[in-house]
Amino acid sequence: MKPLNLIALLLFLAGAVWALTRSDRSVREIQTAYFSAISPFLKSGSKLETRAHAFLKETRHSKELETELEATKQQLGRLRIIESRFRALEHENRQLRQALDFKKATQFDVVAARVIRRNPTTWWQTVEIDAGSNRGIGTQLSVLSNDGLVGKIDRLDASGERSTVLLLTDEKCQVSARVEGSPEVGILSGQRGGFDGTPVLRLKFLSPNAAARPGQRVFSTGRGGVFQANVLLGTIDSVEQGALDSEALVRPSVNFANLGAVFVVLSSDS
Amino acid sequence: MIRYSIATIFLLLAAFVLQQFMPAFTGLYDSRILLVQLVFLCCAVTVSQPTMLLLAFIGGFFWDAQCALGPHGGDPEVYTHPVESMRFGYSILLFGGMGFLMQGIQPLFKQGKWQFSAILSGIAVFLYLTAEYTMINFVRGDIVVNRPTLLQMAFTALLTMLFSPLIFWLLFNVANTCDHSINPQAVKKRKRAPR
Repeated sequence: MKPLNLIALLLFLAGAVWALTRSDRSVREIQTAYFSAISPFLKSGSKLETRAHAFLKETRHSKELETELEATKQQLGRLRIIESRFRALEHENRQLRQALDFKKATQFDVVAARVIRRNPTTWWQTVEIDAGSNRGIGTQLSVLSNDGLVGKIDRLDASGERSTVLLLTDEKCQVSARVEGSPEVGILSGQRGGFDGTPVLRLKFLSPNAAARPGQRVFSTGRGGVFQANVLLGTIDSVEQGALDSEALVRPSVNFANLGAVFVVLSSDS
Repeated sequence: MIRYSIATIFLLLAAFVLQQFMPAFTGLYDSRILLVQLVFLCCAVTVSQPTMLLLAFIGGFFWDAQCALGPHGGDPEVYTHPVESMRFGYSILLFGGMGFLMQGIQPLFKQGKWQFSAILSGIAVFLYLTAEYTMINFVRGDIVVNRPTLLQMAFTALLTMLFSPLIFWLLFNVANTCDHSINPQAVKKRKRAPR
């Protein structure tokens, strides 16, 4: 080997070792510097993706839209009936609250945001949203949609206008969860290699003879300091009983393929 | 030579910017065109070993800066089995390994047979993804191999490889602009050939 090549190889290995021994904090600093450098490009990139997404939505087949319209009309009629019933219940609820001097148990302070980039990395399930530290968002805050838990904030952009959400479908996003109507508590997370469009979550560390069955809903427990309690996570698909513990496969309540608007929970008084 | 080496560094940095505009193909198992890796692989076969190692360091370092996830952050008493992440910097070694693989067929490239390098770039991307996925499995303590993951890796390698002729064309143009020959033997052969 030529001396110059040997020196280059040694320098390369020294550089690799230096990078591999960086602490979490310095990695975050490196990431912040990197993303602030490419921030202008990211902005235009996400704009392009949003436009492409809107264009694809617009160009959907007209027949599909007609069917959708018909279904929406039926849904509207059904919702009108429900709404009238809801109004009556709301009125009744107000009267009862006044009578009992009821204090709201849970109140979320949320920030609404739009998904602007999907799956920017190869292996991790993440999306980028158009809200960041400028609007009070910090890391480890939970992100919800109308249907349930979406994930948590993993990284903030240096510009303060964007942040990255680690989705519930990623293996690294763990949530302390409970099965509705049973004492079963476990840890819910995504699965590695779930790229075929139908993500399934895994609820681990249930008791060996877990009293859980398909169709039961799964909610967050609120333990662990990241996610709020009683947020819908999904519905049990099947249960695999083991000698030491059981696992359940859970279908997420959120449609991750069609994620548009999300809400970042800034604080809650639960 | 020096001008060309500097140009390859700028090309690699430009690939990082362009990569931001390349979304995953959801219909093809979330496969994507790995432009950064492709530019690195194509450059690796045209430069000397020290320059290749410098490109590998820059490529791996920035790739990890773009992709690394943060710590879990929850209460360790509740989350007793946190899912491990890859250490920042592992991509530097992967890029280095791929670079050495590409340099293995540098003699063929210098003879003007760039097609072999184009095919090898696809194989190298597949090996890179396989190595990365194997490392994730190793770090997380269990092996999960399924059809969607294999298809994702295969489609990513294939899609990336399809763009390699374009990158080589770009590199030939950059070399011409820098008055540098990246396949000197082929140029000599062409000059010697009777008209």
